[in-house]
Amino acid sequence: MNAIIQQRSARKRHKLVRKDISYSECGTIPTLEGLRHHLQTAIEIEHATLPPYLTALYSIKEGSNAFAYQAIQSVAMEEMLHMILACNILNAIGGHPAINKEHFVPAYPGYLPHSDDALLVGLAKMTPETIETFLNIEQPAASGAPPQPNHWHTIGQFYEAIDYALSHFEHVTEGGIFTGDESYQLDENDYYSGGGKLFKVRNLADAKLAIEEIISQGEGMNDGIFDSDHRLFGEEVDIAHYFKFNEIYIGRRYTLTDTPEAPPSGARVDIQWDEVYNMHPNPSIKNYPQGSPLWQQTNDFNKTYMAMLDSIHCAVNGKPEALKRAVPLMFDIKYKAIALMKTPYKDGKTAGPSFEYVR
Amino acid sequence: MTTSNKEFDSFLAISAWLTGFEAIELQGTGMTSVYFSTLQKNITGANLEVFFAEARSVLLTAEKDPVAAKARTLSHLMQNSSFNNLAKQIILMWYIGQWFPEPAGDARNSTQINAQSYVESLMWPAADTHPPGAKQPGFGSWAERPIKVDTFNVTMGK
Amino acid sequence: MSENEYDVVVVGSGIAGAVLAKVLTQAGKTVLMLEAGLQAGMALKPEEDHANYQSYLERFYASTIKATNTPYPELKDALSINVLDIDAHTPYETGYMVQLGPLPFASDCLRAPGGTTMHWLGNVPRMLPNDFQMKTRYDQGVDWPISYADLVPYYEMAENEIGVAGDVTSQQGPDMNHTNYSRDYVFPMLKIPQSYQDQVWMKNTDGLDVFLYGKQYTVSCISMPQGRNSTPNDHYRYGTTVWDRASQSLKLTNNNEHYEVVGATWSGYTGERCEGNASCVPICPVQAKYNALKTLKKSDPDKIKIITQAVASQVLIEEGGSDVCGIMYKSYTDPNSIEYTGHIAKGKIYILACSAIENAKLLLASNVANTSDQVGRNLMDHLVLLTWGLLPEKGYPYRGPGCTTYIPTFRDGDFRKDFAAWISPIDNWGWSWPTFAPGSDVTEAVINKGMFGKDLRATLNANVPRQTLLHFECEQPPCPENRITISAKYKDRLDNYRPVIQYDASNYMRKSFQAAKKVSDQIFAANSIENFTVYSPSEPDYVTYDGQGYTFRGAGHIVGTHRMGTRADNSVVDKNQRTWDHKNLYLIGCGNMPTLGTSNPTLTMTALTYQAAESILKQLESIT
Repeated sequence: MNAIIQQRSARKRHKLVRKDISYSECGTIPTLEGLRHHLQTAIEIEHATLPPYLTALYSIKEGSNAFAYQAIQSVAMEEMLHMILACNILNAIGGHPAINKEHFVPAYPGYLPHSDDALLVGLAKMTPETIETFLNIEQPAASGAPPQPNHWHTIGQFYEAIDYALSHFEHVTEGGIFTGDESYQLDENDYYSGGGKLFKVRNLADAKLAIEEIISQGEGMNDGIFDSDHRLFGEEVDIAHYFKFNEIYIGRRYTLTDTPEAPPSGARVDIQWDEVYNMHPNPSIKNYPQGSPLWQQTNDFNKTYMAMLDSIHCAVNGKPEALKRAVPLMFDIKYKAIALMKTPYKDGKTAGPSFEYVR
Repeated sequence: MTTSNKEFDSFLAISAWLTGFEAIELQGTGMTSVYFSTLQKNITGANLEVFFAEARSVLLTAEKDPVAAKARTLSHLMQNSSFNNLAKQIILMWYIGQWFPEPAGDARNSTQINAQSYVESLMWPAADTHPPGAKQPGFGSWAERPIKVDTFNVTMGK
Repeated sequence: MSENEYDVVVVGSGIAGAVLAKVLTQAGKTVLMLEAGLQAGMALKPEEDHANYQSYLERFYASTIKATNTPYPELKDALSINVLDIDAHTPYETGYMVQLGPLPFASDCLRAPGGTTMHWLGNVPRMLPNDFQMKTRYDQGVDWPISYADLVPYYEMAENEIGVAGDVTSQQGPDMNHTNYSRDYVFPMLKIPQSYQDQVWMKNTDGLDVFLYGKQYTVSCISMPQGRNSTPNDHYRYGTTVWDRASQSLKLTNNNEHYEVVGATWSGYTGERCEGNASCVPICPVQAKYNALKTLKKSDPDKIKIITQAVASQVLIEEGGSDVCGIMYKSYTDPNSIEYTGHIAKGKIYILACSAIENAKLLLASNVANTSDQVGRNLMDHLVLLTWGLLPEKGYPYRGPGCTTYIPTFRDGDFRKDFAAWISPIDNWGWSWPTFAPGSDVTEAVINKGMFGKDLRATLNANVPRQTLLHFECEQPPCPENRITISAKYKDRLDNYRPVIQYDASNYMRKSFQAAKKVSDQIFAANSIENFTVYSPSEPDYVTYDGQGYTFRGAGHIVGTHRMGTRADNSVVDKNQRTWDHKNLYLIGCGNMPTLGTSNPTLTMTALTYQAAESILKQLESIT
């Protein structure tokens, strides 16, 4: 099964992770416990991008911006996939993902965990500025950028540090580090998601493949945008998140001859920046008097969001079938978010989903 | 098309009273303006003014004495002779997303207001579901009871 | 003006045409396909495809009355039957179909790219072995010229192409068990989850004994196989159907990889699983439900030419011979205009695949293939009896696919000598079909009862989620007087013929309604369902039997109009689905079916299409 994933990844996207770097050159993770901690952080990073992406996605008014909607939706679905893949890696090395704890849910606006605090990310409607933030989140590392477990500049560096540490600890630990219970692993029978595949992680090769999948879907490759040259009737070739966002930002499609450093030069896409709900940025339940209608609607939203995190937590801690419960909750979150974004709040702007921890 | 804020607010408030949905639930549909415009297109300004005056009176009563307000609604708003059935037309707009020119006459003679009015029609959430073809609840959702959120818990399934 | 000669000319881009296009082009043959519907609906580029499909959805949302063909544009030059035209009083000629009576034919189909699979429900149970031998076993109708066993490998190809979600092991019932399937066979995907309402029903219905005319039957409830995306089955072993030149046969390839679901035609990210839109009929917003365009897209683009807005009007026969030499078609630019240009499509082999109604109509208009006088005759449908009521507790209908569970108990048995068999889906869509609920519940409460506010909301909430609907699809046997004809009096805007229908429901059917109602009453009693079923004499297709009235509705399962058989004097096509009269003319589709059985016919028709494709390829390879 994993051979096929590898084949699909290779066929569709090039790798970014460098293989030639030596241990002494990079920022390192010193202990196995530290590695598990960094994987938990990886899970939190993947999740932390979801509320901003979903907020922008749901701010798009029904019937408009089909291109942008499908692009952002595909990115969000893949981030979910990455989050669960990271859970698989953590479970494989004997760790326990913590999904529904208070610190798991970031405050917005905020900095992505363990980053170099250069990038402030909030909850906002879709605007050029919002998409620019997303571009910065998904930005490919410059070639030569070293792996970085802390104060990383790009997420790719963070994963590369994890990748290296996995190899290192597997090598130096008696019996290896992949000691987790296989029944905790989730695969594509538990979650389906467009271009990517969810697969079990049982050994180092699986783990490295998972990281490769995560990075290549996010940042893409450093020597091209497209990789595949086969097409059936109008089959779309998939491109990495960064380039999807750039197509929205610039308002053009990439062509087969475009290069990653240059903007897309292909057909124009119609982005109607006006056709979004005028949401007040960074909604929070703290903005409303306790018990007021907006407070209640926001509380409902947060409760549903927490129920979703609970299902995922359950699923990645020994009960994969619990992930099925997460699906209807994800759909419910969407409708509640949109209803909030249609509800007036103040200054001509509307309320919105706040994605806050609540018990 | 002029919108008097006071009338708009009265429209939202009386809609909540007549439909049994909270004002914030109605606002969450995003349909308030469209339905208000539909009223203005089909009812004269003078008739609307008189209706909203009665509506405000009912709502004022409701704050102190809901039972009396309900009785007054029945006698003054829900009779076939009441304002040409405007209260019923308002309820049907929110619940079905259609304009009924003559509720007491041929009820089949209604017109869909627009695509969104179908998607946001309230008879579906009133029945613990969603309009067919929109607001789909996700794979497997139909095998469990609908999701319910109360102040303390989200419940799903059995 | 004639076109270049192709290997094959196919009329119709529904599932039959699409399967042929895929199989034939992948086997290296060239295909010219004619489709009466709009070019926009044939959009094969993702953005245009998505935009066109969104326009279907918008039309559906914005329509006041929602019926099976509502989402799809009305084309005056290529009209589809409109069920809303139905009237109790025949004869009438409203709309497209002329109804001479005595009873109005109640079903419709769709003329558009993708054909009726755009609006179909997607239920795909197979026929039963006994269905193929109705004459021998029950002295009803006719026997098929082939057996169920003959069709098994083609059923597997059809289930592979459609993408069936279901559970083989649970398909048990009269004349139904694991021997109906190949050893170890599984469907490509796991069953669609059975609805919460099904589970409420099954508590008191699965295993229930009922009595009918002095005999006891045990009712069972099983999951419904359907062409709708679900979780892939790890044990499914097939890839796709290919032409094996050496053995001159079609074969399913083996595939050791994970089954890949086929999502929406415009994006693989959409429609990978059913999302519970509950609007399968008339449109699946995410295309988790199978439609023929998914198959058409897999044709070899270098070998197929598709001409849309092209309405076939006549099959032409060569001078002094019996071979078809061309199909005349009328091309329109504006679908509501009377203007068109005439063309002739040429090929070595000609195939009509544009539905039982249109195939028959075209043959009659051309006066071909009819030495048997059977063209247009033996029009059959499933006559649907509905019963409805309120469950004692909420079942939460209006959720999920239209049907996820059915009762197989009366699909076969000795009683078929006496009255029609039926399949009984437990419907998930409340009372909407018979009563136009929940809108009718709202108007009743508000207009008639003056309800408002929280009381109104609470009343709807207490009652609508308890609505439940039981559905009996009764098998109509062939009757030569149920037929399609044509008449110079009835033409459409392009001066093509309109179908003229003569139709009735025999006592064999009416007794079946009586029987079904008796069974329904017992099932309702066992479930403490409060019965609300009402049949009114003013309704179309209200019939009486034994002092009782029953209203039937059409299932949309139009079959029989150019049936296959063993002899040229009582059938239109042979068992290879080639017309007896013309060696290069094949008829494909439900019109070939000599009897209907109790299954939705699309799956069987698709299996037959694969069988025909084999014959066509053999014939093509023998002439080149």
